[in-house]
Amino acid sequence: MPGGRRAERLAPYVLVAPAVLIIVVLRLWPLLLGVNFSFTGDGARNGIAVGLDNYRELLDDPLFRTALRNVGLLVLLLPVAVAIPGLLATFIYFRVPGHRLFRGVYFFPAVLSPVIVGAIFNLLLAFDGPANAVLGGLGIGPIDWLGDPDVAIFAVVGVHVWATFGMGLVVFLAGFATLDSALVDAARVDGASLAQTIWHVIVPGLSRTIQFVFVTTMIGLLTSMFGLLYIMTSGGPEGSTYLPEYYIWIQQGQMNRPALASAASTALFLIMLVVGLLQVSLLRRAGRED
Amino acid sequence: MSRTRLSRWLIAVPMALLAVATIYPLLFTANVAMKTRREYILDRFSLTGTLHWENLTTAWNSAGMARYFLNSLIVVTCAVALLLLIGSMAGFALGQLRFRGSSALFLVCLAALFIPFQVIMVPLARIMADGGLIDTYPGLVLAYVAQFLPFTVFLMTSYYRAVPPEIIDAARIDGNTSYGVYRRIMLPIGAPALLSVGILNALFCWNDVLISLLMMPSADHRTLMVGVTSLRGQYSDDIPTFAAGVLIAAVPVLVIYLFLQRQIADGVTAGATKG
Repeated sequence: MPGGRRAERLAPYVLVAPAVLIIVVLRLWPLLLGVNFSFTGDGARNGIAVGLDNYRELLDDPLFRTALRNVGLLVLLLPVAVAIPGLLATFIYFRVPGHRLFRGVYFFPAVLSPVIVGAIFNLLLAFDGPANAVLGGLGIGPIDWLGDPDVAIFAVVGVHVWATFGMGLVVFLAGFATLDSALVDAARVDGASLAQTIWHVIVPGLSRTIQFVFVTTMIGLLTSMFGLLYIMTSGGPEGSTYLPEYYIWIQQGQMNRPALASAASTALFLIMLVVGLLQVSLLRRAGRED
Repeated sequence: MSRTRLSRWLIAVPMALLAVATIYPLLFTANVAMKTRREYILDRFSLTGTLHWENLTTAWNSAGMARYFLNSLIVVTCAVALLLLIGSMAGFALGQLRFRGSSALFLVCLAALFIPFQVIMVPLARIMADGGLIDTYPGLVLAYVAQFLPFTVFLMTSYYRAVPPEIIDAARIDGNTSYGVYRRIMLPIGAPALLSVGILNALFCWNDVLISLLMMPSADHRTLMVGVTSLRGQYSDDIPTFAAGVLIAAVPVLVIYLFLQRQIADGVTAGATKG
């Protein structure tokens, strides 16, 4: 049956074809298209090559500059966003009383949509809402969480961390499952303090997991806060909570500036590439010194 | 020994407080959803005396949540079914079959994993518009499939790679073609991975707002999460109804979480341990 054998030889290609076709046409091709697009004009200059004009406009736009500044803030906060689930996972690994319950509770917000989380915190952080009522009880004056340009970005990032630390926690716990528990026990028997055990045994033992959580947390901070921004602040007050992803959405969806939006997309991609590579090389070096 | 036991309890106290802080926002919302507007304005914290379930029916009927719910259900079901079918076919081929170009094709799928949606959304919207797919169910389904396929292919490939090749050889001796092996052997063997990946994809699609906003702009095509954002403007002076809408949108995820927490965590960590 030569026909049958030929069909059999083609079978692997037939099986991967739908996946590869969709990925190439709707993921890789748009990436090239977008980069190309970012060097053309909008409106009257649609389709005409304009060189670096869009990128120049981006750097002159105060909103995009705020978005970049906020990215810097996120990168600075990244170690905190990784340390929180890491520390909690360590305690759960040491089986603090109630560790099973804690694990289940902490992970739950991570499966909720940012829109639902944002909607809930709109109520909680309202000027006359519960958060300020609690602070008022402690004698601290009300804070305009979402209305004060100096506070709002921290409020939104805080909510994001609250909602997503469960993801990192679960990944850390999976890492702990591969850790040699004899090493940890030996350190404890030798009288090492908790901090010493974490620093000298757990951190080196989990270096791959830590690396993974760093990278995924960074991707989360830079690409999954749209829902929160959209429902909580709409980029305000005074544009102070803009992030590149929100800027892209506004330019594409509201301002009808697809070419400018493409330039912002390309910039976001480059930022993520640079931050990601920097992280990996920094963490590798730190790992080698241990 | 008693000293470490004491310190364990000392750590458990802040962890318990954090657990309360994690769960309280949800309980607060559920409580508000059961109040009347008057009760809410007078006192937002007190436990509601009588449960005003009518807030839920108001949100469900007059706020259009029923329509949004149905839209989400249709789109998510189709997207997840397609993701599992296409992803498991590719995973079987890339993980088990030997053919020219297989590692290059796997690299193509892997590379797409690192392209966030925000980076390609402008040209993607244009491609979809050229294909007449904007504001249609197939368009949104296709956008979801494209978004979550790299992850699905990656996980299914690593799952199928661990299947002993002897099983496949035995099936071939019994006269199965590659398609037969896929249908009779690989699909049943892959069931646990398909369940995990399926739930995770369902959550991703159900929770999405950006892709949906971009692909389904018109009001009667809104998915549930976009519906929640529109609810905010609509019921800004009727917080209990707004909270009821949020609650309705959260309940399906809550139910899935209560029953399938293990599978969700497995899906999340599979990427970490195999990456």
